[in-house]
Amino acid sequence: MEATPTNHTQYREEKLTFGKWLWNIWKGMSTALKGMGITFKYVYGVKPVTIEYPEVREELPANSRHRLYNDVQNCISCYQCATACPVDCIYIAAERRDKDAPPLKTDGGQAIKLDLHQYTIDTALCCYCGLCTTVCPTECLTHTTDYEFASYTLDQMKYDYMTPELKQWRDRIVK
Amino acid sequence: MADTNLETKWIGDGADLEKIKSDLLTLNMGPQHPATHGVLRVEIQTDSEIVATARPHLGYLHRCMEKHSENLEFRQVIPYVDRMDYLAAMNMEHGYCLTVEKMLDVEIPRRAEYIRVMVAELQRVASHLMFFGVYAIDLGAFSPFLYAFQDREQILRIFEELSGARLLYNYIWIGGVWNDMTDDHLRRIGALVDDIEEKMKKYHALVGENHIFVGRTSNVGIMDKDYCYQYGGTGAVLRGAGVDWDLRKKRPYSIYEEFDFDVPVGEGTKGTLGDAWDRYWVRVREINESIKIIRQCLEGIEEGPIMGKVKKILKLPEGEVYMRTECPRGELGYHLISDGGKTPYRLKVKSSCFTHTSMLPEVAEGQMIADFVATIGSIDIVLGEVDR
Repeated sequence: MEATPTNHTQYREEKLTFGKWLWNIWKGMSTALKGMGITFKYVYGVKPVTIEYPEVREELPANSRHRLYNDVQNCISCYQCATACPVDCIYIAAERRDKDAPPLKTDGGQAIKLDLHQYTIDTALCCYCGLCTTVCPTECLTHTTDYEFASYTLDQMKYDYMTPELKQWRDRIVK
Repeated sequence: MADTNLETKWIGDGADLEKIKSDLLTLNMGPQHPATHGVLRVEIQTDSEIVATARPHLGYLHRCMEKHSENLEFRQVIPYVDRMDYLAAMNMEHGYCLTVEKMLDVEIPRRAEYIRVMVAELQRVASHLMFFGVYAIDLGAFSPFLYAFQDREQILRIFEELSGARLLYNYIWIGGVWNDMTDDHLRRIGALVDDIEEKMKKYHALVGENHIFVGRTSNVGIMDKDYCYQYGGTGAVLRGAGVDWDLRKKRPYSIYEEFDFDVPVGEGTKGTLGDAWDRYWVRVREINESIKIIRQCLEGIEEGPIMGKVKKILKLPEGEVYMRTECPRGELGYHLISDGGKTPYRLKVKSSCFTHTSMLPEVAEGQMIADFVATIGSIDIVLGEVDR
């Protein structure tokens, strides 16, 4: 390897004289004391900005993007969220409703023409970008402000919103 | 392992080679060393405390983002570009959206432009505050880190209320921005920048003027003008070498030409021109310049819509475009090739952090290990952007 001689990055140090040595000591002490004067102002009379986490919880803004929740009763199975998802973590299975079946409507008044059989989100894959919630026509898919949902296995991160346990979340975590 | 040619290079002219000569020791700095900014691994060969060679090893944060984006619609790429430079995600989004809009020929509402510039500059302030704190930690000072994070946290809080996320926003969209800023936000940003400007004077007196800090950084990691030109260094590295080059001024994009601000350049105040202290000093002054721009935004912001008219299913015309923007860490270029479909045919990202990492080995030769840490810290790289 032929090293290219450059002096763009090199610097040859000047000789240290006794006067410079004393000057260094003086500058080092005076500027350090000045800095300490600044830090000592933070000792008393300053309100702490940190919070004691498990006991005190910060109130998150209303549009914080955390755990997704789908209110399946209002879902019209339009697949728009699954199409918009950049990581493909939404799995939907639906089939056409029987003609004889009683007509269903969402809270917003839209007719539900498809029977939803499966609505699963793999939260471990989700990147919390929020694109799925912006395209939802009935606004049933929302980001909640619930952020404590670590689990032990990857399987537990797959949320099937058709199950009764997850339907109960509605009262607990939806804004 | 020992390379005798290298040894003669860094020991110097008058030294007695036989006396000093010893075997070189290979040492890995990183990937988890706290002083190496994320997951950079530098393989260094040392003789006692002097670095003979340094080789950065990359790839620990490689996300295959460029290949991924070939299978994603143009809107879906935005969450991916967020994750490149996670400390300045707004600037990444801004650059990407400008690239797509350059091809799309869409008119951006004035209010959206103002909000974009404002969040981009706020992000620059946050990123430089992060640099300030982490650099102080690199050199052994702990309190500045806490002070800087305290201020950065307030900026992130505003971003969280705007977009819903703290780091990976997905806030700037093709054609505009996602959510509108309320008057309350504008008022709080005004108060916040006043606060930060006042505090930065204090912080600079605490860190930048400290003689120990000056001793650690001046005449260390010198990258002069020619060296930056050779490697293609940009951003604060180039400006620290005394070159007046800022894309916001020289090649104005968005609405930057309407604002009045200065470009701080290094002057070699404490040592040689282009040393670590100069780069630090450029970044600290850039915070003040960003604050100037934010103030002008707050005065000039207009009422109106925040999204332009963009089709729901986005198709770009055939062709290619290159767009570069000034990010906190340097120039970021997007080269987008479209074949007329819904997804990019190719999206190449030119990252300044990658360039700056390649500048390291030559600077490292002959440095002390502690000085090498100061050099890595001063170029302020984010490994997410290096590996992409």
